Amino acid sequence: MGIVHGQEMVLNIGPQHPSTHGVLRLQVRTDGEIISEIKPFIGYLHRCFEKHSENVTYEQVIPFTDRCDYLASMANNFGYVVAMEELMDIKVPERVEFIRVIMGELQRIASHLLALGVYGLDVGAFTPFLHMFRDRERILDIFEMTCGARLLYNYMWVGGLSHDLPVGFMDVTYNFLDYFEPKIGEFNDLLSHNKIFVERTADVGVLPPDVAISYGVSGPNLRASGVKWDIRKDEPYSIYDRFDFDVPIGEGIKGSVGDCWDRYYVRMLEMMESVKILRQALSQIPKDGDVHQTIPKKIRPPKGSIYKRTETPRGDLGYYIVSDGSPVPYRVKMRSPAFTALSVLGEIANGWMMSDVIAILGSLDIVLGEIDR
Amino acid sequence: MGLLENKFNDNVIVAKLDKLMSWSRSTSPWFFQFGLACCAIEMMAAAASRHDLMRIGMIPRSSPRQADVMIVAGTVTMKMALRVKKLFEQMADPKYVVAMGSCATSGGPYWQHGYHVLKGVDIVVPVDVYVPGCPPRPEALIEGLLKLQEQILQERPLTRKIG
Amino acid sequence: MSKEREKLISDAVEKAIAGDMDAINNIEDRVVRSKAKAALAKAKRLQKDGSSPDADLSGSDVPTVSNAPSENPNRMFGDRINQKFPGSLDGDLKDTHIQLKPDQWNDIAIWLKTEDDMLFDSLQCITGMDMGEDILEARYNLHSMKYRFAIEIRIAIPKNKAEIPSIEQVWRIGDWFERETYDMYGISFSGHTDLRRILLPDDWEGWPLRKDYEVQETYHGIVVPKVKEGWE
Repeated sequence: MGIVHGQEMVLNIGPQHPSTHGVLRLQVRTDGEIISEIKPFIGYLHRCFEKHSENVTYEQVIPFTDRCDYLASMANNFGYVVAMEELMDIKVPERVEFIRVIMGELQRIASHLLALGVYGLDVGAFTPFLHMFRDRERILDIFEMTCGARLLYNYMWVGGLSHDLPVGFMDVTYNFLDYFEPKIGEFNDLLSHNKIFVERTADVGVLPPDVAISYGVSGPNLRASGVKWDIRKDEPYSIYDRFDFDVPIGEGIKGSVGDCWDRYYVRMLEMMESVKILRQALSQIPKDGDVHQTIPKKIRPPKGSIYKRTETPRGDLGYYIVSDGSPVPYRVKMRSPAFTALSVLGEIANGWMMSDVIAILGSLDIVLGEIDR
Repeated sequence: MGLLENKFNDNVIVAKLDKLMSWSRSTSPWFFQFGLACCAIEMMAAAASRHDLMRIGMIPRSSPRQADVMIVAGTVTMKMALRVKKLFEQMADPKYVVAMGSCATSGGPYWQHGYHVLKGVDIVVPVDVYVPGCPPRPEALIEGLLKLQEQILQERPLTRKIG
Repeated sequence: MSKEREKLISDAVEKAIAGDMDAINNIEDRVVRSKAKAALAKAKRLQKDGSSPDADLSGSDVPTVSNAPSENPNRMFGDRINQKFPGSLDGDLKDTHIQLKPDQWNDIAIWLKTEDDMLFDSLQCITGMDMGEDILEARYNLHSMKYRFAIEIRIAIPKNKAEIPSIEQVWRIGDWFERETYDMYGISFSGHTDLRRILLPDDWEGWPLRKDYEVQETYHGIVVPKVKEGWE
């Protein structure tokens, strides 16, 4: 019997598509259902963040950084503020540092909950999405109590914070932590060890560690490939060196090291580590300290440049800030982790079927606002 | 009502066809999930467990043919504007547009130096309801959608204006 | 922390290690309970591998921490680059960065990545800069995962002849970073396989992040700049 020769088809996925996590266009070349080449096209959400940051003052850049990675705005603020304080040599009070860590870790839990809930939705499971959103709403309530906003906070300012913790914050947060810890076991029962989920994600889209480093992948994606790299432990900033937590890496429990299931499970384990850090921070936070004390009246950094990395829920976020001595920045470049994570899609998605590509894309956890800036 | 009044039991209603059509259109508008940026997360939160959008009759649909309302949630850029127009034209009549968030209303925080940002989605598609906020709370979005439902209820699709 | 609290915590932790979690869960005071849980986690981990977590080598090739160089890395590596590739340094050695000329950049990049005692395998960021006076600059931040060195390399070129050799094949993320720098500044990277715009549409005119950029009036019939009157 002879070989049937088909013809390759060029298809478009997006920019409007329910499972592309935003406005992303994927141009795929397929032979039947198997994909031979995939090219991502981005730029549908390019909002000129870098041009804006050259025309407004240093404090006014902070709301723009919020809107880049809109699922983890506290983490974006944190990165910018840490870079600016190192450039200007400002030392903030202890209480401010503790509050920043608390907010950063709460934001990490919220972001991972959304990422995992939406990943379940991509793969076909609707129930975990509703459960995870219910728990995420409780975290957003805590944020709303503190600074008034649910999604885009503008909370961390250069040299301090915009609001101090409200009365009753500790009780509410402890209640939330006590409520949330058993929930992780519930999510594991619902989704992680579910046979259908494991069949769809184990051994799919394996990312080898040297490819990952060459493509600049970082954060949970890199840790799932077996490389133990976490900026909070390896190049600590703020007061992360005082806390005691593990860095989970992927071990290939259900398949090979670095497959989609590993990337999913590393995020689940990271939520547990965040709960540990939160408990330690809440018990050690100093009772007094003014959060507005070291905010400079006029921000005029000395001439120079700085590149500083921090760990957001998506990976290493880097800010390259160049200052020429005036109150307006000369250049602010944001190096986003999702940009590098998306660039590796063209490499690891070849040879899989169409629905596997959706599973791989979901496991990389991209946010288009951060990629396009 | 006249002739037919009180002739039947209470399980028969007599009304104009106009009112019946606009009533049925307003109480179950299915929305086209067109989430572009941060407002899309608040739209998802409005459709999730705490603020349930299904109780006012709305389900997310991913194809423009099956949807009645297009909620433009997020910043529209120049690259995307051509696609928004195309998708709006692919929707079947009757169709409505809700501009959610300040970016869709008038360009949002990017109005001044954003060279690639469309200053308001009403430049390319006709908008019925504007929901301001950055991002608007899910409750605000639900209020906007209820206003849209009131607006649809006022329509008289079968009558023609003369003059 | 008072003596009784310490004793309470250590008793509870001992019982928990033996398997009885009730001792910790029954502690009334929330603060003390969370301290006990933290102490339990630490004790369990010390028990498991008997060493500090930094040296934990689970998984494949994990980088080891070596001592940070006592000398400034930019100066040290700038000197080594100058010795191996004479004439490539543009100006003298500085503390904050290494200034290079564009011609031999590709060879230098391959050498930096493959040399055994440097191993700069991670390109962090490429930033384009408009320095004014018709000079554009590309700044590369490099990092070594094994030895934890971090250096910055800057290459300056004139605006009318903006060309730098591409390092796309050396660090694969250079592909997208270089396309973005081309999109925003107009620096073309020679040797790049697929240099086209990445963030803006393909038929956009101009290089937006240059300081003398004038935004175009219309794009496919849509007016681009601020539209409505009285918004200022």
